[in-house]
Amino acid sequence: MIVGDLSRRELGSRLAGTGLGLRFGPFNLTIRSDLTSFASLARSLYAPYPLPEAGEMTDFHVGIRRPRGMRRWLRRQASFTIDGQSPFAPYTVEHAFPALEWGINWCVATRAHHLLMLHSAGVERNGRAILFPASPGDGKSTLCTALIHSGWRLMSDEFGLVRPEDGMLLPLPRLIPLKNESIDVIRRFRPEAIIGPAFLETRKGTVAHVRPPLESIRRMHEPARPRWFVFPRWIANAPLTLEPMAKSQAFLMVATNAFNYEVLDETAFRLVADLVGSCDCYSLSYSDLDEAVAALDELSRATDV
Amino acid sequence: MSDSGEGAEILISTPAAGSLRWQQWDEVYLVYQASSAETHVFNDTTALILRCLEHGPQSLTAVRSWTETALGVEQGQLATDHFAFAVGRLEELGLVDSLEQALATQ
Repeated sequence: MIVGDLSRRELGSRLAGTGLGLRFGPFNLTIRSDLTSFASLARSLYAPYPLPEAGEMTDFHVGIRRPRGMRRWLRRQASFTIDGQSPFAPYTVEHAFPALEWGINWCVATRAHHLLMLHSAGVERNGRAILFPASPGDGKSTLCTALIHSGWRLMSDEFGLVRPEDGMLLPLPRLIPLKNESIDVIRRFRPEAIIGPAFLETRKGTVAHVRPPLESIRRMHEPARPRWFVFPRWIANAPLTLEPMAKSQAFLMVATNAFNYEVLDETAFRLVADLVGSCDCYSLSYSDLDEAVAALDELSRATDV
Repeated sequence: MSDSGEGAEILISTPAAGSLRWQQWDEVYLVYQASSAETHVFNDTTALILRCLEHGPQSLTAVRSWTETALGVEQGQLATDHFAFAVGRLEELGLVDSLEQALATQ
């Protein structure tokens, strides 16, 4: 069963009551909300996501609701909650949806330490994945969105979830938050992409969420073998370059960008060393998405030979 | 590097050095130190000093000579400040110690 199978009334009732169960890759969430605007967006953007089976464990109990106490009467606000606690200052109610999405990311980043969490987007084709570790502003979400609308499967836009037992990459095909100019870039690149409303003047500028293609959501339990590390950098008007990178440099960039490298200690060192050792590593500079997608298609084809 | 008994000072590797995990690519050594949960980046010289001390305590002169041979440079060609910097860094990380110092703290 998927969210889209629920009637508007049933969805609202779950959000306001015991919570809406949702499956995102290896995690099960329960979301509660008393905001009607949130329910409407959730119904639209979460429609293809599966509900957990009865009796399955919930990893995160989250909520987005009006704050308690006097504050709720002074301004129209929304608080993100995890296990009933509010770790962040309230958001304006118009930003409730991105606030929940950021909050879910925060839950994963701070709690899922049974996995190595690289700060990286990832896509897959033919069972092999490209990881795109990058800092904010380097264009990994934009590039990732372009690729998943060009024949690649979304593994994640934000988390490279590596299973310590076998080094496989686990999918986490959540909504992709595009920011500022990237929103129009993707609208032009793939007009058919499903993009939610633009939230103006959030803490991260203007944000709009891309819903991954259905194939990526349907295959959210299918891991992939990491095959390439590509370190992207969007540079205005720059010609495309895709150049091999020294593995020692790649190691340092992957390790320093990981969410929990220090937490996992030696396990993280071993995993990152094994990953970098078994992957081809490249730096990519680009300004044109078509060129970047073509170059990565060619890279994967060349390695097929 | 302490300045007592320059050259004749005996260096030893510490127990922390025994639990290092190594990953080498080209001339760069990525080293995980379990005792501090830190990852270090060593060059050839620094890595070879540790390798040399795996054979047991050695004088600074002997360590330098062994390292120069391993690097493939003429004896006496390894810059003194370069060698001293590498030994000093390993001391700071608690991976090597002078035998005299180690005995004094026991």
